[in-house]
Amino acid sequence: MTSDPNDPARLPPRPRPQLARRDLLRGGVWLTVGLGTAPLLAACGNGSSGQAANGGAPYELARPDRPVTLAIKDSNPPIADGLDPETGGTFNILNYADYMAPGVMKDFGKEHNVSVQVTPYNNYDEMLAKIRQPGESFDLVFPGPSVLSKMVYADLVQPLNHSYVPNLRNVWPEFQDPWYDRGAHYTVPYTIYGTGVMYRADRVSSVPEVGYDLLWDQQYSGKVYVLDDRQEAIAMSLLRNKITDDINTSNADDVKRATDSLIQLISLVKVKTDINAYSEVPEGTATVHQCWSGDVIAGQYYLPHGQTPEVLGYWRPQAASDYVIGSDNIAIPKSAKKPVLAHMLINDLLDNKIGLRNFGWNGYQPPLTKLSATYLTDQGYIPKNLANSVVLRSDFAKGLTFYEVSPSTEALWQTNWARFKAGA
Amino acid sequence: MPDKPSGHDRATRRLWPALALPGTFWLIALFVVPFYAVMAVAFSGRINIFNEPIPAWNPLDWEFSSFGTVISDSFTPSGAYHEVWVRTAIYTFWALVICVAIGYPVAYYTARLAGRRRGLILALILAPWWINYITRMLAWVNLLQDDGYVNKALGLVGIPPHSWLSGSSFTVVWALAYGYLPYFIIPLFASLDRIDQRLLEASRDLGVGALRTFSHITLPLSRMGLVTAMVITALPMAGDYYTNTIVSGSPNTNMVGNQIELFLLEGPQKNIGAGLVLLLSLVLMFFMFYYLILTQRASREAAR
Repeated sequence: MTSDPNDPARLPPRPRPQLARRDLLRGGVWLTVGLGTAPLLAACGNGSSGQAANGGAPYELARPDRPVTLAIKDSNPPIADGLDPETGGTFNILNYADYMAPGVMKDFGKEHNVSVQVTPYNNYDEMLAKIRQPGESFDLVFPGPSVLSKMVYADLVQPLNHSYVPNLRNVWPEFQDPWYDRGAHYTVPYTIYGTGVMYRADRVSSVPEVGYDLLWDQQYSGKVYVLDDRQEAIAMSLLRNKITDDINTSNADDVKRATDSLIQLISLVKVKTDINAYSEVPEGTATVHQCWSGDVIAGQYYLPHGQTPEVLGYWRPQAASDYVIGSDNIAIPKSAKKPVLAHMLINDLLDNKIGLRNFGWNGYQPPLTKLSATYLTDQGYIPKNLANSVVLRSDFAKGLTFYEVSPSTEALWQTNWARFKAGA
Repeated sequence: MPDKPSGHDRATRRLWPALALPGTFWLIALFVVPFYAVMAVAFSGRINIFNEPIPAWNPLDWEFSSFGTVISDSFTPSGAYHEVWVRTAIYTFWALVICVAIGYPVAYYTARLAGRRRGLILALILAPWWINYITRMLAWVNLLQDDGYVNKALGLVGIPPHSWLSGSSFTVVWALAYGYLPYFIIPLFASLDRIDQRLLEASRDLGVGALRTFSHITLPLSRMGLVTAMVITALPMAGDYYTNTIVSGSPNTNMVGNQIELFLLEGPQKNIGAGLVLLLSLVLMFFMFYYLILTQRASREAAR
């Protein structure tokens, strides 16, 4: 995902020759996408969670209506004030692949004389496995709300020293004191996104009031995709079929009904699953694709030559209270060898200019107050017709979100998802 | 036979088992241990807070309830995985049929008739191995797009375009056959190449036609090569999960490998994933044993 024209480290401009340009482009895109399509990879913002094997987790489970304060333990204190940043060697980031602008990392490395390296993961299980490896050390990690509590419980992350992160004030006030980490003891926000439907405006004649219905519409058969993510897909079906608003439900009957409706999509529209809406819709492989809002913003850079962003459309629920939203955070692993530098990079990412640059590259919006929908469209980062892909503060306050559930609930959802994926 | 083994004999008696050591070590380290680990996970069902399975290393702790569910969900017609197993079997079968139909003539030609071009043909058969499997499949995605070259070429001869990539079993079967064809041809070529030319000459000298020579001499003599080639290709095909993901991505072309991946990649039910691995291994082992019986019978016949 690339965009910001001012980013010196952006991928080289795509070839624009007359001959078979489109195929060249696709070749380039597919190779990158290939990694995403490869079944080994799951989704960004994919909430995987769990508890103790025997039920009841040994820590408090955070809920939007039951916020938690993650205690700062004596055994795991934050770093002292006023330390000099470390220099030399490598700075190790544990992150989803392609989730931070290479230009931002490169400049940071140059400024502090370190080489910045990214170890990628595809889901939280993999991230946890990597961060827990004995002898391994990482300086930065990106845990979402559903995985944070257990990481604090197991001392995998260290508390932040806010004196190094003055830019936290640039962030939406609600994110300075979020429900999953009161007082931002361990995390600052990285990105926020919503889940909606991206479609080809030039092929879809009218968008129904509930845009999810586009996926159940036979006209688009063969070109309909749901996110390859059990939570997102089943939650969509729960909402579309008005089964329940509780997108973390542990009611077996509700989950079964939602899944049955998803299974209908197989014979109805020959549904496919992947997480590449940002390329499938612009390239026309998909007409309708359930997607994350960040995909919509990145999508404009995957349009074939000669097409403008007007061919794209994004539907999201009108009411914030129906909108599924998610967020990712930045935290510093306990094993960090360069914790001061880690604080500095966190502060950089919350800087309006650097945050904007990073957003321009990956399409995922940082919740910085200055980067409002109006600002981003005025600056040309988002085409006017796609301005609704910007997540608003009211969305975060009222939206629906996935949180950490018990392993039995997780298993219930997974077993149903497997039923859908079996194409039964 | 001498009454006492000579020094030389004793040395050889120690030498041969010693030569088997690396192979034995390999087998234990890379097959027996991992297989036992899969069993320990499949028969455990306990996880830690990080969704990691806690294997039951002690067989006395094994629980078979979730494996029982895996079996019943796989083999009862209404079971959640039944469809996937049937699909896996059908895809593997048809892909093998295609491999035989295309691979046998190619291997035959290369071994018997290619003459001086044989090296070139072998190199061409092996050429796809220079390119990564996934990259080759992605190339097919380009070719098979709605406005891709395949549809354009069909358009030239008046055939209307077809949506090859919208979850078509046909595409998946052909992609499997395409992907594994070289693995099929090479062992078959080796066995056809070993057939004694004089047997064929004798057959023709005795006035037998080319077709009957083939069915009475070449085919029976290459039977073991054919079976080997089929086993070598069928095993990875049955466990494949990325070919169909790339050329289809639709739930109605998913195979057992996709279900295994779903459970093992993340989430709290890695024991179900391990159970499916175990079951797939058992099914494949069944065919392997059949293959071993065939080989033994063949070598016994050869010794006679």
